[in-house]
Amino acid sequence: MATATPDNSPPGPYPRHRRFSLPRVLTLAGGTFTQLVRMKVFYFMALFAVAVIAASFAFADLQTDGQLKLLKDVSLASMSLFSMLFAIAGTALLIPRDIEDRTLYTILCKPVPRLEYLLGKLLGVAFLIFISLILMDVLFSAVLYLKEKSIIAEQINILQNRKFASRELLEANIAAVSDAVTGQGLTWNLQNGVIAIFLKAIVLTGVTLLVSTFASSTIFTIMTSLAIMVIGQAQSIARDVLLGEDASAVPRLIAGGISLLFPDFKGFDIVDAVVTGSAVPALVMAKMAGLTIVYLVIHLMAAYVIFSDKEL
Amino acid sequence: MSTVPAVSIQNLTRVFRLPTLRRESVTAVDDISFDIAPGQIYGLIGPNGSGKSTTMKVLLGLLRATKGKCAIFGRDSARVDSREEVGFLPENPYFYRHLTGRETLAFYGKLCGIRGAPLKERTAELLALVELEHAADRRLSSYSKGMLQRIGLAQAIIHRPRLVVLDEPTAGVDPGGSRKIRDLILALRTQGITVILSSHLLEQVQEVCDRVGIIYKGKLVREGLLSDLMSIEDQTEILLRNATPEVLAAVRALIAGQQTTELLHLGNPRTTLERLFLDVTGGSAADAREYVK
Repeated sequence: MATATPDNSPPGPYPRHRRFSLPRVLTLAGGTFTQLVRMKVFYFMALFAVAVIAASFAFADLQTDGQLKLLKDVSLASMSLFSMLFAIAGTALLIPRDIEDRTLYTILCKPVPRLEYLLGKLLGVAFLIFISLILMDVLFSAVLYLKEKSIIAEQINILQNRKFASRELLEANIAAVSDAVTGQGLTWNLQNGVIAIFLKAIVLTGVTLLVSTFASSTIFTIMTSLAIMVIGQAQSIARDVLLGEDASAVPRLIAGGISLLFPDFKGFDIVDAVVTGSAVPALVMAKMAGLTIVYLVIHLMAAYVIFSDKEL
Repeated sequence: MSTVPAVSIQNLTRVFRLPTLRRESVTAVDDISFDIAPGQIYGLIGPNGSGKSTTMKVLLGLLRATKGKCAIFGRDSARVDSREEVGFLPENPYFYRHLTGRETLAFYGKLCGIRGAPLKERTAELLALVELEHAADRRLSSYSKGMLQRIGLAQAIIHRPRLVVLDEPTAGVDPGGSRKIRDLILALRTQGITVILSSHLLEQVQEVCDRVGIIYKGKLVREGLLSDLMSIEDQTEILLRNATPEVLAAVRALIAGQQTTELLHLGNPRTTLERLFLDVTGGSAADAREYVK
């Protein structure tokens, strides 16, 4: 048998392997994004557009702030629903399908570390959610802006047809109505709600990616991820009910451990506050971003540990 | 030339635990050892379930060895960096069907660190090599089986690996497409690339391979140069052209006079069914396009 000294002569005129390569990750992310786009996931956008436009015309007999709240409520709820659908269904389709089609063999037989493969998939789905939320946000903001302007014009018209003691009083009333409507209309604070939706969807993407590394099918991945999402939504309520305020350290520690595996989505629930027009403090946003990073790191590392041992 | 073998498999054993309560297990590969020299075309043959694919998967780092070692040009095949030396075409590959042929090659090229003008050049070169220039901008979902195999072969060699592993590269491909893939494998040999070919088509293995290993029930039952394995030592073949009946009669008479020599067969040599098919259907040079869906 020949000596086992490695023959290090280069295989071709191309760059040698690097332990971690961002361009490789971005190639995988780009491939994932293209795959999902060409699966026509953006067709869901048509449903969103219908929901937003329908909400802008619905319940015209509501009070002005009621109309705007309804539009914001329906739009942000739709954004949240679609981004979570993209996160779960999009991610669940990726790894099981790559294994089933043997595409994974051809990728992992190139000098691609398994962590990079997972990162690429995660970034690809995250980019898809980001782009789809931007598109939904632009449409929502445009419809909200037009609705806000039309309500203000309508209110000014009503006020101008009323009799006021003086012109100053009329103008004061117009200013008050405009301020009230604008406060419920398109504001930067609303974007905090969209950011929260994005961060929540990213956490869910990480969870689904983790599930798909040990799941045997797409349907199992989707069902398990949906279950984790429901647990994540309800766990803070369950914790409050079961532990109460005077619970000892051990149950609290156990509950903390559970909340690492099953993300506690309560921390991302700022949409209701945003819809009612309450300002979201920067600290809350920073806390949410930090929580997202912590969850992503935990879930990605767990996914890597499982996937690196996975036999294909 | 390097003395390091392109592939070195030493005492490879792979046991699969079955998901049963009795903790049963199956030995898919049982203490296999062989080396492949650089530049050789090595045929790995055996019936279904004999352990060929498992051996290849361990070599490619897709499975772990229970015992033993695999090395590619001296580097442990479990290491990710050993894969810059390897190109792999799995059996019945699907690839990403939403990508075009050109995008597919660009995708795999980028994974190997090739970018910009070199990637563009290499992609064009390979599309020409596998005769898919006319379908380069069509999605793979519209490719025929033979075309998919050829684009698969192109992706396997995009980064100019020194070892190419082909698992049933002609499975389900018609004779014309099969011949094209065979020609591509022979072209790899002229470039000094080592090839491991796993195939059920023994005729094809016989046609292209220098060396063969036969795996049966997880064990390497025969291994060696094809010419050595194929020769029947106690028989001699004489091939004559334009022999007259008188010459043949004289040969028969000469042999009949020998006590220790027996004439086993005298007649016309036969062509292969594949060659006959290709001759009748007009050869293989221009028939790829008519199999396009």
